Amino acid sequence: MEKPKIALYWCASCGGCEEAVVDLADKILDVVNLVDIVFWPVAMDYKIQDVENLPDGSITASFINGGVRLTEHEHVVKLLRRKSKLVIAYGACSAWGGVPGLANLYSREEILRYVYHEAPTVENPDKTRPQLKTKVEEEITLELPDLLPRLLPLDLVVDVDYYVPGCPPTPDVTWKAIETLLSGNLPPRGSVLGASDKSLCYDCPLNETKPDKVLIKDVKRPHEVLADPSKCLLTQGLTCLGPVTRGGCGALCIKAAMPCTGCFGPLDEVIDYGGKAISYFASIVDYADEEEIKKVLGKILDPMGVFYRYSLPASRLRGKIILAER
Amino acid sequence: MNEEPRIGVYICHCGVNIAGSVNIKEVVEYVKNLPHVVEVRDYIFMCSAPGQEIIKEGVKKYNLNRIVVAACSPTMHEHTFRNVLIEAGLNPYLLEIANIREHCSWVHSESREAATWKAYTLIRVAVAKASLLEPLKDITFKVNKNVLIVGGGVAGLSAARELALKGFKVYLIERRPVLGGNTARLGRIAHTELKGKDVVGELLKQVVDNPNINIYVNTEIIDVSGSVGNFKIRVVRQPRHVNEKCNLCGECVRVCPVEVSNEYEFGLTKRKAIYLPYLGAYPPLYVIDHENCTRCLECVKVCPRNAVNLAEKPEEIELNVGAVILAAGHEPYEPLIGEFGYGVSSRVLTLFQLERMLDEESPTKGELKINGIQPKSIVFIMCVGSLNITPNAYPYCSRMCCSSTIKNALVIKERYPETNIYILHKDIRTYSRGDEQLYLRAGERLIRFARYREAPNVLVNPDGSIDVRFFEETIQEEVSISADLVVLSVGMKPPKDIDRIRTIVKVGCGPEGFLREAHLKLRPVEAATDGVYLAGTVTGPKNIVEAIDSGSAAASKALTLLVKEEAIVEPLVAVVDDERCSACSICVGICPYNAIRIKTYEDRRIAEVDPAVCKGCGACVASCPTGVMQQFGFKDAQLKSQVLAALYK
Repeated sequence: MEKPKIALYWCASCGGCEEAVVDLADKILDVVNLVDIVFWPVAMDYKIQDVENLPDGSITASFINGGVRLTEHEHVVKLLRRKSKLVIAYGACSAWGGVPGLANLYSREEILRYVYHEAPTVENPDKTRPQLKTKVEEEITLELPDLLPRLLPLDLVVDVDYYVPGCPPTPDVTWKAIETLLSGNLPPRGSVLGASDKSLCYDCPLNETKPDKVLIKDVKRPHEVLADPSKCLLTQGLTCLGPVTRGGCGALCIKAAMPCTGCFGPLDEVIDYGGKAISYFASIVDYADEEEIKKVLGKILDPMGVFYRYSLPASRLRGKIILAER
Repeated sequence: MNEEPRIGVYICHCGVNIAGSVNIKEVVEYVKNLPHVVEVRDYIFMCSAPGQEIIKEGVKKYNLNRIVVAACSPTMHEHTFRNVLIEAGLNPYLLEIANIREHCSWVHSESREAATWKAYTLIRVAVAKASLLEPLKDITFKVNKNVLIVGGGVAGLSAARELALKGFKVYLIERRPVLGGNTARLGRIAHTELKGKDVVGELLKQVVDNPNINIYVNTEIIDVSGSVGNFKIRVVRQPRHVNEKCNLCGECVRVCPVEVSNEYEFGLTKRKAIYLPYLGAYPPLYVIDHENCTRCLECVKVCPRNAVNLAEKPEEIELNVGAVILAAGHEPYEPLIGEFGYGVSSRVLTLFQLERMLDEESPTKGELKINGIQPKSIVFIMCVGSLNITPNAYPYCSRMCCSSTIKNALVIKERYPETNIYILHKDIRTYSRGDEQLYLRAGERLIRFARYREAPNVLVNPDGSIDVRFFEETIQEEVSISADLVVLSVGMKPPKDIDRIRTIVKVGCGPEGFLREAHLKLRPVEAATDGVYLAGTVTGPKNIVEAIDSGSAAASKALTLLVKEEAIVEPLVAVVDDERCSACSICVGICPYNAIRIKTYEDRRIAEVDPAVCKGCGACVASCPTGVMQQFGFKDAQLKSQVLAALYK
């Protein structure tokens, strides 16, 4: 019997998700035994052409990480969609936009201007910017893919069958997702694979240290406090997003006394992750006086970066609409 | 409920209330095409018996399983139509009301087109939700037969008396160290030979010896949890520092070095830090005002019966009751310093101060003397603090001041017939039985009435004499009266800690701060919160008779609850999906009613809502970070369907 064909692709990604696959360690050999990898730009020498030559629907599953930011990403994911039975959004960026998605708070022009002219480490007196087409010699013109107006999560570009959460997904979650897919016993389309159906608090080793009422008098950033690793971090004033974040990661950050930043994303019923996070966090600030509440919540210097760190492009907000941009 | 929704929509004309601005015919045609709608009918009064019959017939004929009534506000008739569903054999919670009267026809009467369009939308939204409604079961629980009464004035005493006579246990708490409220400080009550404290005394006779009544003075309510039929109350009793061994010998008062203004004489005299509020006060014991006591221990040393104990601490007491009666009373309006010369001249008194002075037990033994001289010309200014006469006055009429002023004027005229008395008023409202005769008699005794529109000016001259100037409405002339004494007929205002109490008990208030009834006309002694009743001046100014009446009325309303074995609450409460709750505990801290606890079942921690305590406010649902907390009747899916139906056709 022919082995199932698998493709792996990265869009706007830091490469962490690729590492995560490699982190399967010896299990990667089991995977290779079970499937044929037909496309994996980061590790194997296949070309786009090779994918184009495959019959439509012949790839069993494509694992795509990173958000869609370039015209090239858009082109390849559409191609993979056509060639694949299943498309899996692998990792937070692909599922909801991830950290690169925070760039949706700026226009394309603002991003280019900062990156090529204004960033403190840039030395560019001629104000050169990359061009879509550059003539190198008489006969040779080099092309670069264009930057899309904003970063899109995968499911705003193509239909997505399943999601694997995490920044990056842990080896455990990745393996469970693969097992589910290989089992043939597929959950309903749109499901999240490999993770829990409860929030991180359920898995959290500190859950039982919570007082009757979780209320806070102050907000602290991780570097401002020597957190007690044996006590619920939220009750210590850290912006732990455990309550609103899907479990399944094994509470790795918590075990290192770092608050959850939410990379496993929302539970099924939640429409807007950041909205839910702000809603619960704001309501546990234990003051009746509005000014006091403002003072405490004002200590969260970057609310978008805290509450929408992984999910801005997939949220109801999407990003900032820049009217001036043509 | 997995069956296909079969919705009947019943559209009410409400006479011309709705039909006058909504095109019912067009609405009927429109609604027929909405999803799952099987029958649409309209009728002139859907709440009437024939209207209700139309719904019942429809259910039978078309096998309907959801009902939408497009009519008035659900506060008006939701109950009526739920009963119709029960009679039709449906679960009462399969009803959705589209409010096309208050939210539509009444507010858009200027445009028939706009009102009709809005009726489309409101009904479309209601139909969308109706198709997702689930049958729910009422929550029932045993009714606790005890009652808490907050306030020991005449209204609270009257309520306590009624309930105890019926055999119910009453906890009567009073913030002050003495029962009787404001009435106890009043002088002779019109048309009777009784003084205020005699009226209180009569009520006390029927209250203090009744074993069903537990009296806690110096006690304030600090927390309420639970709900109708099942309240858990926490109160804190401040120490009296004097126990029952006290026989009122008075030695302690003699040695006490602290003197403060005596609030029971409206500041006319001083009292010590250890004192008896007034002669005949109940409980008949001295009390130490611990705010002013210097802990010099002189009273402890001198007390022959060892009745004084300064080491007593505040005590927290928990009470379980089925109903709460709020009879927290009022305060007299206190004029600002300088307002009509008050606090500036010793010749300006409030009506209450005058009434104390005229009492035989007063410091002057009932003699009316200002600085040792009997006033020959007295000017009463009415409505001080009421009817917006000054910028800081309240807008309402305090109801008792007209009669009270005339009564006191007549007492003065009786004792000092030569006195010239002027009553400056905006209006005379002697509405109680017999009070109009007092007014006529005042005229016969040559008490002069004059009418002002703008508040009179009280000019205190350098020699201490006073001129009162105002524009007289009837003769249309500027008038100046030279007065030896000016009496300010002050009104009533809400007691100072009413906001604290109402926040604890969860009762609303009107713009002036008095507590608000469930319905001004139809339910005057009930609060909107089930199981909470209102008595006396806590809902607004009343005279003594009215306050006692309302105490009895509140008791009688409470009895209708207490005689039941079981109370029912709507099942529109929050509920946790046990399987998927992560025990993050966010909801526990947010619940304003303490209805949620984290419970452990076989090593699994989950949040649990006590449906008897939950009020269905939805705060936990909104804050639940994972969406597993939902509210019956307002589930996310139901609300989302409404939003979508509102936005898209």
